[in-house]
Amino acid sequence: EETGDDESYEFGKRDFAEHACRYCGVTNPACVVRCNVPSCRKWFCNSRGNTSGSHIVNHLVRAKHKEVCLHKDSPLGETILECYNCGCRNVFLLGFISAKTDSVVVLLCREPCLSVNALKDMNWDLSQWCPLIDDRCFLQWLVKVPSEQEQLRARQISAQQINKVEELWKTNPDATLEDLEKPGVDDEPQSVALKYEDAYQYQNVFAPLIKLEADYDKMMKESQSKDNLTIRWDIGLNKKRIAYFVFPKEDNELRLVPGDELRLRYSGDAAHPAWQTVGHVIKLTAQEEVALELRASQGVPVDVNHGFSVDFVWKSTSFDRMQGAMKTFAVDETSVSGYIYHHLLGHEVEVQMVRNTLPRRFGAAGLPELNASQIFAVKSVLQKPVSLIQGPPGTGKTVTSAAIVYHMAKQGQGQVLVCAPSNVAVDQLAEKISATGLKVVRISAKSREAVSSPVEHLTLHYQVRHLDASEKSELHKLQQLKDEQGELSSSDEKKYKALKRATEREISQSADVICCTCVGAGDPRLANFRFRQVLIDESTQSTEPECLIPLVLGAKQVVLVGDHCQLGPVIMCKKAARAGLAQSLFERLVLLGVKPIRLQVQYRMHPSLSEFPSNSFYEGTLQNGVTINERQSQGIDFPWPVPNRPMFFYVQMGQEEISASGTSYLNRTEASNVEKIVTSFLKSGVVPSQIGVITPYEGQRAYIVNYMSRNGALRQQLYKEIEVASVDSFQGREKDYIILSCVRSNEHQGIGFLNDPRRLNVALTRARYGIVILGNPKVLSKQQLWNGLLTHYKEHECLVEGPLNNLKQSMVQFQKPKKIYN
Amino acid sequence: DEEVHVRQRVIEVDPQEEAEFEKELRALMQESLDSRKLELRARPTLNMMIPMNVFEGPTKDHHGRGFEGESGDETLDEEAGGSKEVRVKVLVKRGNKQQTKQMFIPRDCSLVQSTKQKEAAELEE
Ligand SMILES: [Zn+2]
Ligand SMILES: [Zn+2]
Ligand SMILES: [Zn+2]
Repeated sequence: EETGDDESYEFGKRDFAEHACRYCGVTNPACVVRCNVPSCRKWFCNSRGNTSGSHIVNHLVRAKHKEVCLHKDSPLGETILECYNCGCRNVFLLGFISAKTDSVVVLLCREPCLSVNALKDMNWDLSQWCPLIDDRCFLQWLVKVPSEQEQLRARQISAQQINKVEELWKTNPDATLEDLEKPGVDDEPQSVALKYEDAYQYQNVFAPLIKLEADYDKMMKESQSKDNLTIRWDIGLNKKRIAYFVFPKEDNELRLVPGDELRLRYSGDAAHPAWQTVGHVIKLTAQEEVALELRASQGVPVDVNHGFSVDFVWKSTSFDRMQGAMKTFAVDETSVSGYIYHHLLGHEVEVQMVRNTLPRRFGAAGLPELNASQIFAVKSVLQKPVSLIQGPPGTGKTVTSAAIVYHMAKQGQGQVLVCAPSNVAVDQLAEKISATGLKVVRISAKSREAVSSPVEHLTLHYQVRHLDASEKSELHKLQQLKDEQGELSSSDEKKYKALKRATEREISQSADVICCTCVGAGDPRLANFRFRQVLIDESTQSTEPECLIPLVLGAKQVVLVGDHCQLGPVIMCKKAARAGLAQSLFERLVLLGVKPIRLQVQYRMHPSLSEFPSNSFYEGTLQNGVTINERQSQGIDFPWPVPNRPMFFYVQMGQEEISASGTSYLNRTEASNVEKIVTSFLKSGVVPSQIGVITPYEGQRAYIVNYMSRNGALRQQLYKEIEVASVDSFQGREKDYIILSCVRSNEHQGIGFLNDPRRLNVALTRARYGIVILGNPKVLSKQQLWNGLLTHYKEHECLVEGPLNNLKQSMVQFQKPKKIYN
Repeated sequence: DEEVHVRQRVIEVDPQEEAEFEKELRALMQESLDSRKLELRARPTLNMMIPMNVFEGPTKDHHGRGFEGESGDETLDEEAGGSKEVRVKVLVKRGNKQQTKQMFIPRDCSLVQSTKQKEAAELEE
């Protein structure tokens, strides 16, 4: 066989050639290809070495990259491998076909081009399609395998090293294998502590963790380019161009949220020049369609619909603001009061009371009457500089928070700052606080101004736009001009900006309460504001540095609301999570001995449904504020095994499977039974908006959506209206009926995600009227908490099997639980 | 030429690593397929006609001879055993232009099997 190896053996050249295999160093141009992912562009050879696939295939699989380019000195020259017909560059889909009668071959993708009927009538032989990647190697006649001698002289890289270096490349694309040996790369970062000497030490611990998380986030989002998207064009009410497209989501990958910035690209064709622009996500439909509002409307190729690409535009803003807050905490003495400074760092401080005259009534106009534990919470919070409120599911956290804010605002200490990590929570709170009659301004990120919100009338940008026209005629005029023309002259633009800034300031300053996300508290528009009183809702879902952003604006009195028995903040970087970044400030304060005030009466669940969560997660303290009668579903004829106990555990023995993305699970039997249960609910008179289907796995979520829309026994539209979501995304929300699909069902691998008691707590506490759990008791019973749940259901004769119209008590044997979680 | 004797390496692949790799590879394949099933289904076949210039010259000889290729190709083919490899033209697109490139592919590759069989059948007629 022909190998041009002599040249590549020139001394010294081997290590430096740009096109050397990044794993083993082989440089023979006939044997290497370049990964064509823009952020990667690394070269790899087609040798197997000591691993189960060739180096290039190893890289593509590990990095989930899918495009390659041949070397300029290879027989085909510098060529990006792509489908001859449609241009698809995914090498996992490509293969060669040959002409029926002539020695001409061409690359064609397997889906859809190979199955296009028109091709069959042409001169091509489709029966002998020959995949580009075969036996985990590129076709050896296209990309040569280095000779035995070349391979022996190359670096002998192991699978473990490959995994490590690929992991390293995710955060440092230029890293080399030598870097693996360097100290530091594999080191775990310093873990969070309970107490800190000073704010500098605090910063030294948290800054690297935030950096790790930021790097991971950046790497993950920037690697999320999607090609071959089909666009549907539209125009918004504000006359801006909107692109609709389906953005397939996979587990552990990017989840888009409104406000995210994306770059939309078209590579051009004979009739259209190449084009790109950025835009903001303003909406995500239930059908997983994304609405992207484009920044610039000029030159948009609206007559084209296919072949678009989209990239994520990563922004460091939120991480910068966390780092900034930590720095302010350290260097600015006035950032928080001395008491709070020492308290947060875990120093021993003498108990301080806030001297305030307490109101005679603790409730507030516009809010429901408070119960005893809520009144107690309001009263104690008002007297203390730092307090924690624990709000178990359905206990009226938001109402209590609104009452607290109301009384704080009435104390004349200046404006109150109200934050939460999520926009949804901020909106809910803003609405409740506004109901008390206080003047509320909701500040949302500029990128979210086009995102619809239930409290739009409270937002700053809305208030600026809807000023009394006569009062602010100049700004009003300029705004109109800008809306009509799309832009202003530079002098007008200057004037417009200055006027707008002044107006924003004026409106914000006149408010009693400012509401924004934790990250939003770092908005430049609040830079010169000071807030002595700060309330943070859902604080157990934010990291410490995130919580710090609203605090360092001068806090003297802090209220953290949350529930550390439900899910905490989501940390993507495992290293940072292991080092403790996932622990919230609320939790650390609990560990330091601050006793949270617990709200004790729940108004959500049928008393039968709250029993197990109360006993397992809240030491049995959760009382029911609703009666069985109030949670009796009138006229709903659903086959609950025990009347008056609207719950059952439906025994499932179907196997789990790995989902298409390879990173999640699904369970077909459970999915088909979910459909049957949903259908039964619908037939009995329940409407789709009352039902929620939840599951811990994205793979199962996607499968259920798909399955129900195809196989649902009733009208398709009914199933489309049913919300199917992950357990995590359902935190903070409720539905009348919940169907929980557990998915995991295997002999040996354990139950993964379901192991977290906090996730189980969230899953069990979403339903108001009834819950159905589908799972495999044999597998789940190995874990202590699940074993307890199963026993509870069995004791109440709610552990059942068989067809839905003939449920029988199940005699399935449980396994002995192991005592350890995780 | 320098001759080196190195003992044949015994390649040992950790079965667990292999299984995990296979799983990831399959997932990637599946995901790729699934993503395409939704897209482009209705798109018409564009330009799959073989351009005429491919047939120019004595290209009808399927035994790899008679190409007016670069010098030396032919002898190389002979040296390699004559019938071990076939010369094919790979049709590629550069922008909107069609181009062909020469390549050698093993004679036993399924890709050229059917062409050869048809050819043999034609000869027999
Ligand atoms: Zn790559
Ligand atoms: Zn290599
Ligand atoms: Zn194609």
